[in-house]
Amino acid sequence: MTDTTDFEAKRDIAEIAVERYKQGRLTRRGFIAAMGALGVLPAFGHRAMAQTKEIIVVNWGGTAKDVLQEVLCDTYTAETGIKVTVDGSGPSAGKIRAMVESGAVVWDLCDSGAGSAIILEQQGMTEAIDYSIVDKSKVLEGTAYNNGVGNYVYSYVLATNPQLLGGNIPQTWEDVWNVKDFPGMRTFRKSVRGQLESATQARGVPLAEVYDALSTEDGIKASIAKFRELRENIIVWGSGSDSQNLFLQEEVAIGNIWSTRAHLLKDQMEEGTFNVSFNGGVIAPGIWVVPKGNPAGKDEVMKFIAHGQKPELQVQWLEKIGSGPINPAAAELVPAELAPYNPSSPQNLAMQILYNDEWYAKNQVSAEELYVDALIN
Amino acid sequence: MPRVNEKVSYWMLVLPALAIMVCFYILPVLGIWEIAFTEPETGVGNFVKMAGSNAVKTSFVITFRVAAITTVGCLILGYIVAYAISNFATRLTPLMVALVILPFWVSVLIRSFSWIVLLGRSGLVNDALMHAELIERPLRLMHNELGVLIAMIHVMLPFAVLPMLTNMRGISGVYVQAARSLGASEWTSFRQVYFPQTMPGVLSGALLVFVLSLGFFVTPALLGGGRVLMISEYITYQIQEFLNWGLGSALSVVLLVATALVLLIAARFVNLRATLLERK
Amino acid sequence: MHVSAFKIFFQTGAWLVIAFLVLPILVVLPISFTDTSYIGLPKEGLSLQHYANYFTDPDWLNATWTSVWVGLVVATCASVLGTAFAIGCWFLSDRAAMVARWILITPILVPPVVQSLGFYRFWVKLGLIDTHVGVILAHTLLALPYVSISVFAALSNLDRNLPRAARSLGASVMQTVWAVVVPAARPGIATGFIFAFIVSFDEIVGVLFITVRNVQTLPKMIWEGIQDNIDPTIAAVATLLIVLTLIATAIGVLRRT
Repeated sequence: MTDTTDFEAKRDIAEIAVERYKQGRLTRRGFIAAMGALGVLPAFGHRAMAQTKEIIVVNWGGTAKDVLQEVLCDTYTAETGIKVTVDGSGPSAGKIRAMVESGAVVWDLCDSGAGSAIILEQQGMTEAIDYSIVDKSKVLEGTAYNNGVGNYVYSYVLATNPQLLGGNIPQTWEDVWNVKDFPGMRTFRKSVRGQLESATQARGVPLAEVYDALSTEDGIKASIAKFRELRENIIVWGSGSDSQNLFLQEEVAIGNIWSTRAHLLKDQMEEGTFNVSFNGGVIAPGIWVVPKGNPAGKDEVMKFIAHGQKPELQVQWLEKIGSGPINPAAAELVPAELAPYNPSSPQNLAMQILYNDEWYAKNQVSAEELYVDALIN
Repeated sequence: MPRVNEKVSYWMLVLPALAIMVCFYILPVLGIWEIAFTEPETGVGNFVKMAGSNAVKTSFVITFRVAAITTVGCLILGYIVAYAISNFATRLTPLMVALVILPFWVSVLIRSFSWIVLLGRSGLVNDALMHAELIERPLRLMHNELGVLIAMIHVMLPFAVLPMLTNMRGISGVYVQAARSLGASEWTSFRQVYFPQTMPGVLSGALLVFVLSLGFFVTPALLGGGRVLMISEYITYQIQEFLNWGLGSALSVVLLVATALVLLIAARFVNLRATLLERK
Repeated sequence: MHVSAFKIFFQTGAWLVIAFLVLPILVVLPISFTDTSYIGLPKEGLSLQHYANYFTDPDWLNATWTSVWVGLVVATCASVLGTAFAIGCWFLSDRAAMVARWILITPILVPPVVQSLGFYRFWVKLGLIDTHVGVILAHTLLALPYVSISVFAALSNLDRNLPRAARSLGASVMQTVWAVVVPAARPGIATGFIFAFIVSFDEIVGVLFITVRNVQTLPKMIWEGIQDNIDPTIAAVATLLIVLTLIATAIGVLRRT
């Protein structure tokens, strides 16, 4: 099975740090700390330094590191006296495996993805989540795995520029494929992740049946064919900032972009030039995994995960960085003006489908090839 | 034997540069071949996959098409400039030469940036045309092959002009004068007498532009909108998006071989030594 | 005097092509003075805010400084190595030397992405990723062809009897090189030095592959700027570079005429 964890998405959240700093929402000190963390730290040098009762949490750097430290870790320290430190060096499945196999585990908790979580579980590299401490009901359905549990979410959303469209906004992905009524350029990701689902809906497949429709080779080809049909109107985005830029420069009127980027664009674009819809969107979770034999002990980490499930803390993630609460109960605490941008609000949740890692593990490689071909050939 | 000693001391001068070039350049580039045949598993799997891929074929077609159109565009535009500079000496000629060379010193990135500013949907060209009410909605000048071609011709033009200029400056005026005195018109004497003499310069320019265009990355990546996927961009795409080092390396190998083939074929028509080794 | 259609065609054509070459580069000029925060022509007046931004932003300034000093180190290394190489080959003038010369110019022919891929894998093994040494080494390799070509071009005018005379008068090989050949090569060395500096100063693809965050160069800042957040600071930087180039070109033209 291939590892389908979307590292790009995680790195993108890191990049948002720069953005926030420019907008003055992060302190300079915080920014420098976050950027410093982006340099890869030696993976095996921490053990001696790790005191007993210190929890090392590893994520992908950038603001996400900063926000994680501030929102979850410092509050945990205040409550329990246990020091929690975030390391932003990027816990890829490969690194976790290398660490566990070498027996020198220095990480306690890693911000991974469903794809990696499944593989690592199969390889026996991770601890099982103790659902007597971690509350299964406090995470989005479908994000509680044996050896991994959801920590936040982001979505692939339908972003539009109403001004360029003359006020006529596409509501569904079928509309997006309707070039006659909605003229203008569209942007889709350079990869099929979160994009093929849109094309499948444009074929008229109901949201809930998207992955069924993609379960056969013909189904995949039919969806790819939709991209071929639309390609004269497509500009692709490679990085999150790329997609943001296409909207800022008014190069595109419509796009399938990350909700975290939409979160930034809503503040950057002028009134009436930006709109986001989660209708037909794809929601993807980040997943906590615990490397086997973690130094702080399994129970300590479970308590920390449980701490992170608190709705009031989850909401701060959304406010600070645009990634949505994994705990559906947090939706109530989200300020009204942010609610439309919350990927996991009940309204938005009802319009989306959960990113299917198993499908990607099986089909992504061949689908990517077809996708490129459809766009350029 | 002093003669041998002497040779040794000359080789001592040659060796440092040659050694680091071999160790740190030739070997790493050969290392790509190794990756292509060993990752993810040993064998020709990557090449088989590549041969069966429509996307790869299309990308090669796009690469060669863009390179060919760029070459032709550069030759036509470059010829006119080179001809004017070498045949009509005025006080402004040194200025002309300076202006042709000027873009050489300005980084490709900045020149691509300028084209983004000019050709974008709300760029200066569209703005001006809309303002003059010549068009109703913005033209699509960028994020397509047109935009890539305009910018590539701009970047490559000096590479075409300079070899032609060198060549034309060495052409004696007497043949054209003779043709003219025998009654040939300016156009005829140009076509039948002058033009054939400039062929070596034209071919050198063509070779330089074509080879450089084949491997070009920056401009297509910035102006192509992902749909003018030249091989260089496709390689980075395989590696950055899919961490597919094997296929990325296999593509690199094919691009290298294609470049080498172009040079080998060109060697029959162009003096490679004059074009590449003894450039001014 | 009668001016033929033929002449008019080539004269005006040439100026049009030159306009196509030069004018697009100059568009960054008005944009750098824009009073808006996005890319566009000035709206209500000229503003120096984007220049101020450049000169007060430590990231831009550090990247500029890095590019300058890396460029100078690269130019020095490449000039020394490349000059020695070209002089050695000039003396040898045999088949082996010809092969060596072809080997040295391969970086001109290999596509940038392909060579950068090679650098990346090799530099990982050597631990040179994201280090200044790694960048200097890569850029020196890329600059060597230009130095060797321009030094060789300068030597092509040197009479082979001169060093022979020096040798027969008892000068050692190195004395001959130093006293006879190097002075003749000097214009070529100077051109090569400038070329090498520019190669390093403008190089982007290699830097994108072999550096992460620790090494920031000016082209990398511009590249990230174009991809991330097209803001007029790039135009200000571009204008500064272009003005420098124009001044250098003007001096060159005046010296020649």
